Amino acid sequence: MKFLHTADWQIGMKYSHTGEVGTRLREERINSLRVLVEIARAHEAEFMLVAGDMFEDNGVERVLVQKVADILATAGMPVFVIPGNHDPCVPGSVWEHPAWEEAGNVTVLLSECPVEIPGGLLYPCPIREKYSGMDPTTWIHNAPRNTGDIRIGIAHGTVEGVCQEVQEYPVSRNAAERAGLDYLALGHWHSLATYPGEDGAVRMAYSGTHEATKFGERDSGNILVVEIEGGGAAPVLTPIHTGELEWVVIEKELREERDIAELRAQIESVKTPGKALVDIRLAGLLTTAGQRELSRIREILESGRFLFGRIDAARLRPAPEDENWVAALPAGVIREAGSRLRELADPAFAGRRTDGASPEIAARALIELYAIVSEETR
Amino acid sequence: MILRALRVAGWRCFASSVEVGPFAEGLNVLYAPNATGKSTLFEALLRGLLDGHRVSGREMEAIRPWGRSLSPEVSVEFAHGGSEYRITKRFLEAAFSKLERKENGRFVPLAEGTKADEKVRCMLTRESPGSGLARPKHWGLAQVLWAPQGDLALGKLSGDVLTDIRASLGTQISGSGMGLVEKKVEEIYGQFFTVGGKLKSGAGAPALVRLKDDLQRARHRRTEAILQQQAFDETARRIEELRAYRTQAKNDEEVIKKLLREVRSSARRYQELSAEKNQRKERLERVEAQYNGLKSQLDMIKLARQDCKECEVLLRRHEEDVVWQRHEVDSRIKEEARTKAALEDTRKERKAVDSARELAEQARRYLESVKSLTSLDKQIGQIEKARRALAETKKERAGLLAPDAETLRAVREALRRCDAAQVRIDAALITLEVTPESGGSLTVVEGERTGNVELNSGSPTRVKGSPEVVVELVGVARIRAWGPTGSIEQYRNERTLAEQELDKLTMPFGVADIEKLEEIEGQARRLDRKVNEAQTRLEALLSGESGESIEMERSRARMTLAKTLHVHPDWEKTPPDDEILQMAAQRVRSSFIDKVEEAERRWEIAQSALSEIAQQEAATGAKREEATKQLKQLTDKLAKLSADGKSDEEREKELGEAERKRGEAKVRFEETERKLLEFGDDPAVAIEKLEKKLEAAGEAAIKALEDEQRERGKMQQLSSLGTYSVLVRAEEEIAKLEAQAEGEQLRVDAVRLMRDMVVRCRREAVSAVIDPVKERATRILRRIAGGKLGYLALDESFVPVAVIPGISGKEVSLESISGGEKEQVYLATRLALAEVLAEKERQLVVLDDVLTATDTGRLARVMIILEEAAQRLQVLVLTCHPERYRGLERANFINLEGIAGGKEGR
Repeated sequence: MKFLHTADWQIGMKYSHTGEVGTRLREERINSLRVLVEIARAHEAEFMLVAGDMFEDNGVERVLVQKVADILATAGMPVFVIPGNHDPCVPGSVWEHPAWEEAGNVTVLLSECPVEIPGGLLYPCPIREKYSGMDPTTWIHNAPRNTGDIRIGIAHGTVEGVCQEVQEYPVSRNAAERAGLDYLALGHWHSLATYPGEDGAVRMAYSGTHEATKFGERDSGNILVVEIEGGGAAPVLTPIHTGELEWVVIEKELREERDIAELRAQIESVKTPGKALVDIRLAGLLTTAGQRELSRIREILESGRFLFGRIDAARLRPAPEDENWVAALPAGVIREAGSRLRELADPAFAGRRTDGASPEIAARALIELYAIVSEETR
Repeated sequence: MILRALRVAGWRCFASSVEVGPFAEGLNVLYAPNATGKSTLFEALLRGLLDGHRVSGREMEAIRPWGRSLSPEVSVEFAHGGSEYRITKRFLEAAFSKLERKENGRFVPLAEGTKADEKVRCMLTRESPGSGLARPKHWGLAQVLWAPQGDLALGKLSGDVLTDIRASLGTQISGSGMGLVEKKVEEIYGQFFTVGGKLKSGAGAPALVRLKDDLQRARHRRTEAILQQQAFDETARRIEELRAYRTQAKNDEEVIKKLLREVRSSARRYQELSAEKNQRKERLERVEAQYNGLKSQLDMIKLARQDCKECEVLLRRHEEDVVWQRHEVDSRIKEEARTKAALEDTRKERKAVDSARELAEQARRYLESVKSLTSLDKQIGQIEKARRALAETKKERAGLLAPDAETLRAVREALRRCDAAQVRIDAALITLEVTPESGGSLTVVEGERTGNVELNSGSPTRVKGSPEVVVELVGVARIRAWGPTGSIEQYRNERTLAEQELDKLTMPFGVADIEKLEEIEGQARRLDRKVNEAQTRLEALLSGESGESIEMERSRARMTLAKTLHVHPDWEKTPPDDEILQMAAQRVRSSFIDKVEEAERRWEIAQSALSEIAQQEAATGAKREEATKQLKQLTDKLAKLSADGKSDEEREKELGEAERKRGEAKVRFEETERKLLEFGDDPAVAIEKLEKKLEAAGEAAIKALEDEQRERGKMQQLSSLGTYSVLVRAEEEIAKLEAQAEGEQLRVDAVRLMRDMVVRCRREAVSAVIDPVKERATRILRRIAGGKLGYLALDESFVPVAVIPGISGKEVSLESISGGEKEQVYLATRLALAEVLAEKERQLVVLDDVLTATDTGRLARVMIILEEAAQRLQVLVLTCHPERYRGLERANFINLEGIAGGKEGR
């Protein structure tokens, strides 16, 4: 038996910190499904399992449901889907859409009843509400077993040991063994994770989401190809990277002038900038020379080279050892003003601060003043 | 710069060449009357130093002397930077400019033409007037140092003069490029903020404002999207609830149906028991009535027998009471008769009481008559005396003939007319007064009195007459005097008429003197007053009565007295004491009243006792009758109850049998009742309720189904909206706008801080420069005007804008102080600035006919200050009042009129 295990497509999800490219990113998530179908075909998978959260919410546009169903209809193999906690089986859910019936090869599993699959039985654990403390796999323990069948479970929940305040749909670490399953396909967590049993065989795993959802998300953008020779045999798991987007986070503290030059080199080295999202967060000290380099980096990020680019320089302070911040200003009132702004830009400044003279604002004010003088003297 | 000498020619009133100088390095006073060219010299000095020699136009043409075709020419000798210079310029035709410098004691050419113009101008200012005439803004330091005619006020200083002043004060406000950067800062600030410091709005508003507006709209959209999403979730939950409710309603229906079957079976058994219970109840009621009838008969026979016995006892007691009460009535009739007789006897003592009261009353009347008679005798005596006094006064008044007040007024009026006529006569007469140097005589030919009149040496003699006076001085002259002709005869007639009326009025009194007449009139008035007083006294004594009535009253009193003495002759010698007699009569009366009241009280008691016992006797009789009647009724009743002919034992036996039957019937009834109670309520009621419940459950299931279908329709509609996707787009937009707004807010805050910091630094720098000037000017002002005006406030251009009196500490606008004080404020400021500017090099201060509003006292103090200033400055005062400056002992006075007319002043 060979099948493809995927989950957490989160179609129609929200992107709060990527400016105007949310729509584009949502489209990318759907486009990745075509890649995923091709991979399934390429690996000659007999069927496909989607372990919940196919959609971000039951209130997503219905056209998205239709699009996903259309793509799955082209898979040429059975596709078994369970509702997850984001798209639970409730009245008005995405699962009531006629597209699923029309697709023919797609089966939405809405009750805890074993379903025959090529070469075995599938034990589905559909989700019927957003929040619950119940283990969705419990029912499988008492389900009838036939010796020799390959028993596959499909569930959506949190495997014990994951750090979470409230355990939503908890699944025990040995759920597959307890339920006598050859493999338990899990969804809910976006990172690829496997859980070896006492014999070392991996019988339960999270495939993770097929496309990363945010900056800093670990081991996401994968699917699993699972192969099982027969009932009781150890499954063979093959992770395949499907994510097309690159989420680049650069956090840097500037200490020397060359730091910012390195930063520029780093962002220029991104291979497919058109599919990359770049988030730069800077802290530390900025020299007058560094200020010019920073302007250049801003220009690159704003040029449209990247799918998305953002730079946060609010925590940068004019470098106190760089006298140019003040010395380059014309003597007299302007230089005096610059000198005082530099003092205020220092978070350790012990003097009296007027309203609205936070270190961040003062640093920015000095940079603005410096820019005016530079412009005038150019 | 120091001015040495000035020469003009062909310049307004100076057609010929005039040279003024040399000027002293200290104080110079150039004086001359108005219109002799002082201000023309000031103008020539300015043009010579600051204007290009090629300037032309109407203003330059106006400089030519009237009616002459002369080219204005000026030559200024001055010292600057340690060198001596002379600039000579001719304007209009054959214009030229030549700058010379003194080298080895003589002037040697240094520059010509425009270069000469420019070189001199640069010594005074960096502001070039271009090709036109120099305006005050091009004057450089002269803006401060030179005050044009009558215009001491200091306008807004411009150009490099401020820089020069600041440089002289040793403070560098800012370096080169200051203006550009500050302007740029202001420009950027202006892109974001209004002049008032508020964030701009409208078309020119910064991006932040637009972002905030967009954000607000996006938030509104998000709220709507959230509401829709909530409606979506809520509808899903509602459908689930309705589905559960419908299932529950169906289950309920089944349970109710089963229960209903069971209850209907019970209801049948309940009805059977109920019928049995009714039968047993009827039987019980029957036997119970029988028992109760027998028991009642027995009880009533026993009660009737008892009542008969009690009634017989009561009748006997009443008959005994009747006998005793008859005896008591007789006894009390006798007692009542006895007390009544005693009362009658007591009442007979009343005569003694009346006698005692009469005696006391006679004594009182006797004493009152005696007292009244004495009083009347005294009153009649006083009346007689008053009558006599009145008669005497009236007699005296009748003997005096006196004018009344009306006559006196007429006399005074006649006298006034006499006097007025005399005054007019005197006024109408012509008077001729002769004062001879030596004695002699004159003859009055025409006059009031004609004839000769003696003349005494040195003594004036007057001759009066009308319409003319003619006198002859023998051997000297005949003198005739006449004057305005008036009607003197008319006045004389008026006087005669007045005198005649006066005689007529005063004749009856034998005297014409008004004072004597007034004295007589006063005497008559005093007598009249005395008559009135005597009359008033008499009337007071009579008190509104006549003398006869008083006499009659006295006669009545005497008669009363005589009658009483006839009855009690001893009272004449020993008058009675009416109080003692009154008390004795009161004692007799009180004793009598007490006795009568006691007798009445005893009689009333006897009457009351009699009445009481009579009533008791009547009541006892009535009770006896009632008891007799009741006994008869009871006897009849007992006979009726015992009419069955049975004995008491037989009746008791029947009652026992009835009681046993009643017990049996009761047991059977209670058994049936207990069985019914085991059912609780009537099952029929439960059936009715269950049928209603069943109906309600059916209806609930139908309604739940309808509601579910309706909610599904709603859900269909919400699903088609894609509520979550709408919310996602709204939240993403908000996140984007918030990030942009945050960035813009930082920039806006930074620009505000940058600009505020620059403004603050500039203000502090300017303040550092202005304060020394302010202090100097304030010191000078205080020396001139005293401390009343307090401190001077200067703006950033060193222009005085207000004073701050120490008493209030608040700024007072210069518009609110007097003209003289305003003048002194400007002088103080100019001198303070001049002192600042003169620290490197002595400077020329020109005051052209200023201080016109300053009073003499303050001007004297100004003189002292000018003399002090002249130690560091060259001061040139142009004035048409040289006397006001005579106190300046060390000043160089130059008489311009003398120079122009060929004379030299002091």
